[in-house]
Amino acid sequence: MSLNKFIVLSRSVRRGRNLFAARVAQTGEYLYQFQSQRFIRSSSRSLAYAKDLFLGKVNKKEVFPYPEISNEELEELNQFVQPVEKFFNESVDSAKIDREANIPPETLDGLKELGLFGIQIPEEYGGLGLSNTMYARLGEITSLDGSIAVTLAAHQAIGLKGILIAGTDAQKAKYLPKLATGEHIAAFCLTEPGSGSDAASIQLRATLTEDGKHYLLNGTKFWISNGGWADIMTVFARTEVVDKDGQKKDKITAFIVERAFGGVTSGKPEDKLGIRGSNTTEITFEDTKVPIENVIGEVGDGFKVAMNILNNGRFSMGGAGAGVVKKLIELSAEYAGTRKQFNRRLSEFGMIQDKFATMALNVYVMESMAYLTAGMMDRPGLPDCSLEAAMVKVFSSEGTWICVSEALQVLGGLGFTKNYPYERYLRDCRILQIFEGTNEILRMYVALTGMQHAGKILTGKIKEMKKGNLGVVFEILGKKIKDTVQTADFGLTGKDGVVHPSLTESAKMFEQNAACFGSTVEGLLYRYGKTIVDEQLLLKKVADVLINLYAMTAVLSRSSRSISIGLRNHDHEVLLTNTFCKDAHFKNNYMLSQLQRYSPENDDANIKKIAQDVLAKRAYICSHPLERTF
Amino acid sequence: MSASHHLLRLQCVRCLSHFLGTPVRQVILPGRAHLQTPGSQHIYVQLLRPFHRSAVCSTDRQNRTDIEKLVEDETHHKDKTLVTHDDIFDRAAGDSKTKVEFNRVVDVFKSKDIRRRGHVEFIYAALKKMPEFGVECDVTVYNKLLDVFPKEVFVPQNFIQRMFNHYPRQQECGVQVLEQMENYGVMPNIETKVLLVQIFGEKSHPIRKFQRIMYWFPKFKHTNPYPVPHVLPSDPVDLAQFCLTRIAADLDAKITIYQYPSTDITETGEEITRPHIVGIQSPDQRSLLAKHNPCKPVFVEGPYPLWLRQKCVHYYLLRADPIPPEEKVEEEIDPEMICPEQSLFFPQRVELDLNVDMGDDHSFNVDEVEEGAVYAMCMAGQGDQATLSQWISGLQETCPILGQIPTVFRLESGPRELQTSTDDHQRPEQESETDQIIEDDEEPRHSQGVKQ
Repeated sequence: MSLNKFIVLSRSVRRGRNLFAARVAQTGEYLYQFQSQRFIRSSSRSLAYAKDLFLGKVNKKEVFPYPEISNEELEELNQFVQPVEKFFNESVDSAKIDREANIPPETLDGLKELGLFGIQIPEEYGGLGLSNTMYARLGEITSLDGSIAVTLAAHQAIGLKGILIAGTDAQKAKYLPKLATGEHIAAFCLTEPGSGSDAASIQLRATLTEDGKHYLLNGTKFWISNGGWADIMTVFARTEVVDKDGQKKDKITAFIVERAFGGVTSGKPEDKLGIRGSNTTEITFEDTKVPIENVIGEVGDGFKVAMNILNNGRFSMGGAGAGVVKKLIELSAEYAGTRKQFNRRLSEFGMIQDKFATMALNVYVMESMAYLTAGMMDRPGLPDCSLEAAMVKVFSSEGTWICVSEALQVLGGLGFTKNYPYERYLRDCRILQIFEGTNEILRMYVALTGMQHAGKILTGKIKEMKKGNLGVVFEILGKKIKDTVQTADFGLTGKDGVVHPSLTESAKMFEQNAACFGSTVEGLLYRYGKTIVDEQLLLKKVADVLINLYAMTAVLSRSSRSISIGLRNHDHEVLLTNTFCKDAHFKNNYMLSQLQRYSPENDDANIKKIAQDVLAKRAYICSHPLERTF
Repeated sequence: MSASHHLLRLQCVRCLSHFLGTPVRQVILPGRAHLQTPGSQHIYVQLLRPFHRSAVCSTDRQNRTDIEKLVEDETHHKDKTLVTHDDIFDRAAGDSKTKVEFNRVVDVFKSKDIRRRGHVEFIYAALKKMPEFGVECDVTVYNKLLDVFPKEVFVPQNFIQRMFNHYPRQQECGVQVLEQMENYGVMPNIETKVLLVQIFGEKSHPIRKFQRIMYWFPKFKHTNPYPVPHVLPSDPVDLAQFCLTRIAADLDAKITIYQYPSTDITETGEEITRPHIVGIQSPDQRSLLAKHNPCKPVFVEGPYPLWLRQKCVHYYLLRADPIPPEEKVEEEIDPEMICPEQSLFFPQRVELDLNVDMGDDHSFNVDEVEEGAVYAMCMAGQGDQATLSQWISGLQETCPILGQIPTVFRLESGPRELQTSTDDHQRPEQESETDQIIEDDEEPRHSQGVKQ
């Protein structure tokens, strides 16, 4: 015990040396406790909140009460937050970074000193060893500069994550310490010129040398963030693997590649719309010799590694988006409060107020979703929050885009100029909808994964029904009648309810949507079976409903907690929650009715036809309004 | 009341006599004379229209008088017999049958007789002759023809005239002019309408016909999704490019000009003409060809006809036999990449034991007949094997695999040849479509050869 204490103490001393000298005095006892608590993993639990929504079930235990961190963690976090915030406010010149398309070295050094290059690397390897929740909190601040946020994310959310989650102890010991201090920068090399959306076309090849000790990498990777700076790269390549039947197959394997291995050349940095300070290049590997010890995980397991890295990194975008929008609310609110038009302040106009309400609602939902998901991931057990993380990413990337655009609109023409940061934020946040899996792919992923989950359980029942098994048919009919007579009740409200009574109405709306969603999914499975994969327009709606449901859950859970423990301005939270839930409820109702058979609201056939007509000619095909025929 | 009744009866009688073919001239004449004689009105009308007279017409006095004489002869003739005006065009034009000549004949007819006697016959004759003069698609010529009708004479003056078929022969003739325009797809213009209104009045049969044409023509103008221009490119290379893109119907397909047409004169004075070779191939076709089994031959086939309005061109295909089902190789994709539960690239299938429900299965049962792949197409100035092998060697630059595949030429007789004896089963339509018979059969009908 005392030995442990000593280790922890020494660790924190090491970390404290950088900036937090004050922390050393507080030290060890509680730190040890929460550290050990944080890393306990038991494999019994399997999270399935979003997936179970597809079955019409609400696993309220997973999301209620809203996850919180201990006081000690909070205190620790706040000590990180203050200096980082100070640094970003005082030492980072975002306009200059954007203008010169480069992050100055002194800024990078400052980030390194703050330890921001190793936020999630365990302390034994010299990192800060923070949990996902705390990472999300820091992400709120780092996102104030898009270029820095992307550089940091490419480094640790994806670049070195492979070593962290699937690397051997030797690999960790060798690479993590230098990565944690920022001495080495990491990059994640997956995308290739020919493979944007189709992994099967990864062409970069790794061939085993004759002595069997090295792999030779040959090929090109595209759009690699930090590509020009990275010293350590996680590279995905095709390797020949002999499978069980003795057949040779191409499988993807992940490698740790050091630039020092030779044969690695980076191209010219791409000139981008936003996040201009981040370094995005092409990387070419030419007979790069990689020792076999540098394989991450098993040979041929690269795809799983890539997915784990990406699936769990996405949640942080919620925090990042919220950070940006909160900042912009402050900036634009100041303008709206001072600028006068027609002898009235801008803030008195209804349409301007509407914009601020939209922004506040979106931030609130983004935050709630991000920290709920982060909390789920931090819980002991095997966290499989990929669905939730994907939903956070989709919702917050789109919400951020809308909010930044609205904030810009408040300033009108001024917002459009480079004198104000709005246009830069607008450009920067556009990438959120594109990288780490485009929103389209993630919607498909969310919808199909859920469909698969529901399908496994419902297939038998649906088959019986199709066969005309009277028992099953009557059972379902009975259930339907029951559903129509009494409203759905998942026990969120009322006696033993988990939602605060002042949110009862919103909770009811959520329950109603959730129940309807379950039966709609069943209907879709009944109607389309496995051909559902081709119904992308339906799946998009399914995904949107699910995202709304998850968002409703998050705000209900968060505001219930806020009321119960009496957080400041919790009445405002209630207002936001009720407003959002009502809005989402009606949107869901509309989408769910579109998903019914023969729905008059559903225009998918027309939409497809329009697109086909246009795409067949690859142009807008209507005649010009000024055309004549005689 | 009774007066109007009386009038009505009188009108009826007149119309009746009209129908019977004995025009009651005494009654009508005053009105007519009144309309026609004061020239002011007539001139006014003439001024309104942009009236084009050909320059030749006014200068060539001598010729004109000839025609005048002819016309006179005709009309003179006509008094005795029922000869039409057909000959006048033939005789007037002589050898050169052009728009100018045609216009001149019409002008002469118009200027000859103020009363335009026999104009209906003249117009019918002119309509018949239009294709000969190559003016059947020219709206200005039709307008000129309509201009032959005297103005305002046939416009009904009162409701009784309006009610009955006023001047049926003339109206019918007017309709016939429009009918011919319709048949040749000529869209009337505003001048046509002005003329028709002046000649027949607002609610006459020709105007109705005009309105119907104007209702349907614009509607049908763009119904063809693959329009052929009226004037085709004259350069054979341009024409070939146009045709090949039209057949390929693939926006990715790329045209390659393997050889431009040229004529060289060698030292010995021999003339060597190099025919044009224009080919088209899409990326899909290229990748299909790259996967072709080199043991199986590919075929160069043709010529196949393609009609563009009046013109027929021929093209050649490079194709293969369909792959027998047992030799087909299914491309295997790593199931890991497309399975559900993966978010990198979206899941491409769900593993469910459920199929689409009957009520939602909107697919048709289409019986698909498998055919061999077509790898490329070309058009060439000559359809002989030497020219086409040049095309194949040009294709090899992008598809090196063609070098290993045996190429079989299965060529029908060239486009300008027709075998007099139809000896075998192959392609009867090929023979019927060509119209010239060339006696000396230079090329064998089926030139078959294997090029390695």
